[in-house]
Amino acid sequence: MNNSSTADIISSYFPALSDPVLQAVTVIAILFFTILIAKGITIYLQRSLKDKMDKEHLNILIKSIYYGAIVLSIVGVIFPLLQIDTSGLLVAGGVVGIVIGFASQSIVGNFISGVFLMIERPIKIGDQVNIDSKLGYVEDIKIISTIIRTYDGLYIRLPNETVFTTSITNYVANLTRRFEYVVGIRYSDDADEAIGIIKEIIDREPFALVNPGPSVFVDTLGDNAVNIIVRIWAPATQWYDLKMKLLWVIKKTLEEKGIEIAFPQRTVWFASELNTRNYQDNTEMGYDKQ
Amino acid sequence: MFEIYHPPFTTEVEGTEIIVEKQEDDLIYKRMFEGNEEKEFLLLNSYKDILINPIEPVNLPEKITSFLLIDFKKPAIIRPGDRRKIYLKFPVEIGVFVADKNENYEVIDTFTFTRIKYTLYGSHTNGIVCRQWESDVFTEEPETDILYEGFIELDIFNDSNHHMEITKALFNAYGMKLYYGDKRLGMKASMKIINKLLAETDFSRYPTTSRFKRSIELYTARKLAITSTKGIMEFGINE
Repeated sequence: MNNSSTADIISSYFPALSDPVLQAVTVIAILFFTILIAKGITIYLQRSLKDKMDKEHLNILIKSIYYGAIVLSIVGVIFPLLQIDTSGLLVAGGVVGIVIGFASQSIVGNFISGVFLMIERPIKIGDQVNIDSKLGYVEDIKIISTIIRTYDGLYIRLPNETVFTTSITNYVANLTRRFEYVVGIRYSDDADEAIGIIKEIIDREPFALVNPGPSVFVDTLGDNAVNIIVRIWAPATQWYDLKMKLLWVIKKTLEEKGIEIAFPQRTVWFASELNTRNYQDNTEMGYDKQ
Repeated sequence: MFEIYHPPFTTEVEGTEIIVEKQEDDLIYKRMFEGNEEKEFLLLNSYKDILINPIEPVNLPEKITSFLLIDFKKPAIIRPGDRRKIYLKFPVEIGVFVADKNENYEVIDTFTFTRIKYTLYGSHTNGIVCRQWESDVFTEEPETDILYEGFIELDIFNDSNHHMEITKALFNAYGMKLYYGDKRLGMKASMKIINKLLAETDFSRYPTTSRFKRSIELYTARKLAITSTKGIMEFGINE
């Protein structure tokens, strides 16, 4: 009903043509203008979405719009002009559409999620991310799925719907990132000196940022150690290398300066003096010769 | 140190030794620091010239930014509408270049004698990670050791309607034009203050002294696509 009324409206503006030459000229003219308009739209989209989408996906979107406009023009304008009855086609198309719709529900969901991911861009190719507890590098963002290469080299394909609906942690989205160590020194060591040494080590590291600055302070007086917290900001791209490197440098330097890293120990006090002998006493009594 | 060398040669300065030896038709390049080898590679051509000169100080220990942020040790205050010239010091990085048949220079090694630190200018999300250097503010050309520091002649124009306190200047290495003489190294730059939160810096193509010669800049030599030569300070000119 609706389709026939649409065809009627089009026919009232563009009466059916009987002359085959006129038909051919009109079809060519309509196609020409459709292509012109589609080109205009795609150029506009290309310019406005250039910074928001990556090139590959923008090309897919633009091609879909371009060819979609041409198909729409052929089915919606040219067919009625040529008196080709599209109602049968539409009914068949409708039935097929329902069948395909049910069958491809998840594909469409992934496709739409993919489009929104490309517009919102919470992740980029090469980023280090945690999506749905999958940690690794983003290898590719396709229209239906996102590919992750885990740190141990596994290939993981995540449907875009999952990516879009779960929380994403992007480890390199911000320019800088902080890491933290807890350095436990003995109670007998000078914590001020240890802090000074640690600050000197940080100061020598190019990628330990000046601003935001590092913080080094006594955090807790623990059971076995005075715990010094060391917090350092680094560029997100250098963060892990620096984190891996610095702790051992701090440990070695502190030990070189006579400050020991504490280990769990317990001092036991006895109510009365224990009846113990030292090693020398034992050797004098000849126990070692037994 | 900054000159053209003809292999084989050896040059030593501040404990760093550069040795270029012939090996049949090729060359072996070595950089040693206090007797320890820091870098060694084979140059698979017999280059006629090897050039050592200062480069933009944003490349070490690896290139992560093209921006240099100079923090002023003391703030400088400028009246509205005023134009003043100040001098700042900047760190020196040294580049070793080889030239191809068409006299195009390609960098093969970079090193520095100065302390390297990086900092964040602006916010964590939209800011810029920059090489950081702290400098006094001078009203005339400061004394510098060419191996460690150069000077920037900075022409500041306060285009706002308020007095402005400046504590930092951001420079983009893509615009840097380094000129050097026997004992000094300089750049000429400008800073236009639009308001407290916005200023832009740029470099002049001309040397601070006509006797100085132009350095082969790393970015020019690499022929990288240049987007902008300006340093846009959109996160303010002081803390």
